[in-house]
Amino acid sequence: MAVEPADVLIIGAGASGAVVAKRLAEAGFKVVCLEQGDWVNKNDYPGTRPDWELRARKEWATSPNVRGLPADYPVDDSDSPVAPLMYNAVGGSTIIFAGAWPRALPSDFRVKSLDGIADDWPISYFDLLPYFYKTDRDFGVSALPGNPGYPPDTEDAPMPPLPIGAAGLKVARAHAKLGWHWWPEMNSINSIPYDGRRPCVQRSTCQSGCNEGAKASTDATHWPKAIALGARLVTGARVSRILTNDAGLATGATWLDSDGNEHFEPAKVVVLAANAIGTPRLLLLSANSRFPDGLANSSGLVGKRLMMHPFANVAGLFEEPLMSWQGQFGDLIESLEFYETDEKRGFVRGARWGMAPTGGPINAALPSRAGEQAWGPDHHVHFKTHFGHGANWGLFGEDLPDETNTVVLSKSLRDSSGIAAPEIHYHMSENTRRMLDFHIERAKESLIEAGAFKIEVDRLMRYSGWHLLGTARMGDDRESSVVDKWNRAHDVPNLYVVDGSVFVTSSGVNPTSTIVAIALRAAEHMVETRFEQQVAS
Amino acid sequence: MREFDGDRLMALGAVADQLIPAAHGMPSAGAVVDAQRLAFVLGARPDLRGPLAAALRPDLGDDPAARLGALAKDEPDNLAALQLVIVGGYYTDKRVRELIGYNGQEAIEVKSWLLPQYLEEGLIDKVLERGPVWRDPSTGQRAVVADAPRTYAERFAATAPDKE
Repeated sequence: MAVEPADVLIIGAGASGAVVAKRLAEAGFKVVCLEQGDWVNKNDYPGTRPDWELRARKEWATSPNVRGLPADYPVDDSDSPVAPLMYNAVGGSTIIFAGAWPRALPSDFRVKSLDGIADDWPISYFDLLPYFYKTDRDFGVSALPGNPGYPPDTEDAPMPPLPIGAAGLKVARAHAKLGWHWWPEMNSINSIPYDGRRPCVQRSTCQSGCNEGAKASTDATHWPKAIALGARLVTGARVSRILTNDAGLATGATWLDSDGNEHFEPAKVVVLAANAIGTPRLLLLSANSRFPDGLANSSGLVGKRLMMHPFANVAGLFEEPLMSWQGQFGDLIESLEFYETDEKRGFVRGARWGMAPTGGPINAALPSRAGEQAWGPDHHVHFKTHFGHGANWGLFGEDLPDETNTVVLSKSLRDSSGIAAPEIHYHMSENTRRMLDFHIERAKESLIEAGAFKIEVDRLMRYSGWHLLGTARMGDDRESSVVDKWNRAHDVPNLYVVDGSVFVTSSGVNPTSTIVAIALRAAEHMVETRFEQQVAS
Repeated sequence: MREFDGDRLMALGAVADQLIPAAHGMPSAGAVVDAQRLAFVLGARPDLRGPLAAALRPDLGDDPAARLGALAKDEPDNLAALQLVIVGGYYTDKRVRELIGYNGQEAIEVKSWLLPQYLEEGLIDKVLERGPVWRDPSTGQRAVVADAPRTYAERFAATAPDKE
């Protein structure tokens, strides 16, 4: 018996897939989502256990290569100084993300016009603003209103801000003396009971799942609502390719279950929400005689322009105890003081600074991010100096698009289903190196002004590829972009990409807030144009 | 745990004492990381079993410093596993945690109804005094926002609901 096709098939149940599923289900669409991972029980999160730090380095590691769980696929990252990070489950990487929720800034959408480099986006910050407000409410955001780092808002965050901790307060005082911007961080973490979820308890284990359910992850914030509205979520479903008909329209996707059995899910519209590595991988895997270079790839840009926000860490050590193993890992405070371009610095664009807690005792005892270690009798001095006495500035440098930074299909590496794994080729540009070097020096000044007696620097952290962006960029010109400004593939009119792949430039901020605002905008447009949508007959 | 009986357990204790000796009022790791602590670590991290066994193999000799040197030179992954087992066993021990004043990652109530100290100290007002820091794409310059609040009290008054 033929299966009736879904109105919309979504591939990936993470941040953007969940947003689209919920909105379309609200509008009455028949929605099916295929997710290669499973539901994660929050009672399994290790944050309350004494072995939390041990498990966080393996089964809860942010790198799929380190984790190696059955739901994960390997990524050949041997030709990259930055390892890509992700999580494969219902909720996707929101299960393990920190929860920092800054928006891209207005200038981020006009990089070519303002700085003469890279490209402009076909949409603006102000186009996204109504969707930022809606997604802030849906995810649950805690923030202090009035941040002069951004244009004035007409709507405040739904919850008051989270605490900034002793380290954040110390650095805020320093920035008051320096005359530098700082602001309590906007986090998608509850500061009060909200939407049936509990408030944060400052446990600081956000990156191995939130035991309280206070951090927004879409397994809690979106999927139960989408399913109640009729969406069907299939877990353990690893998509192997998207199929098209003779007219070049998508007809659905084939997928493999955990026993290796192949299935076909027919659909009128296909939405890719598999992150900026998984999405180009699937588009390339879906090559056929009509699309020999991969689906939606007439521009040749599928898998190109990978951006990952090279990350530097500057740690200040203080004499007084700061209890800095506690606090939301999202971020305590941020600074946008040096975010915008000043060409006198010798580079364009900038970086956002975010201050996060510093980790537990095992983290303090092992060699630090900066490579500092002490064994022998000095170990205890090293430990007492580091544990709970640190304030860390994390610096996200804006990564400009470069067509030589790519995701391709590996010729030798396969996932556990036998499907070609992605292989990334990535290097950091000279502009980015100069940018990080400049910001490292300024961050040192910040921490010294705050009273740090010692500074330790990790100039480029390997396991920092949290932000996967750019590999199916949006644009008005089909020859130089993969999807249009409504996230629809130029080449396949019933195929959409809604994850970070569509970013034209990377901005210099954590991107999840912007990714989901763009995804919601795309979903709203799908609803508005539902009767004009071309589908396979 | 048979592979960690006898010689390997002795080697583990010797290396643990070398890495974390008794000093500054703290016990040595060799005195803490016993078979029970080792079982705890390997229960959480069974993947460490193989590299740990390799790092503790008898042919690396009895001298812990020489063992660590050889591992650092030729087997950094096995060395990292050995260090993690020792540090993990040591800092998850109840007595050690008491000595360092750590009760695990604690649940601390967020008191969002209290005025944050940074507002009391006027630190936010200092930021607002300087005005916008975002770049206006229409001018390419730092934004100018008419009537931008210069204190948090002003900002709050601007958004407070009208009173009857």
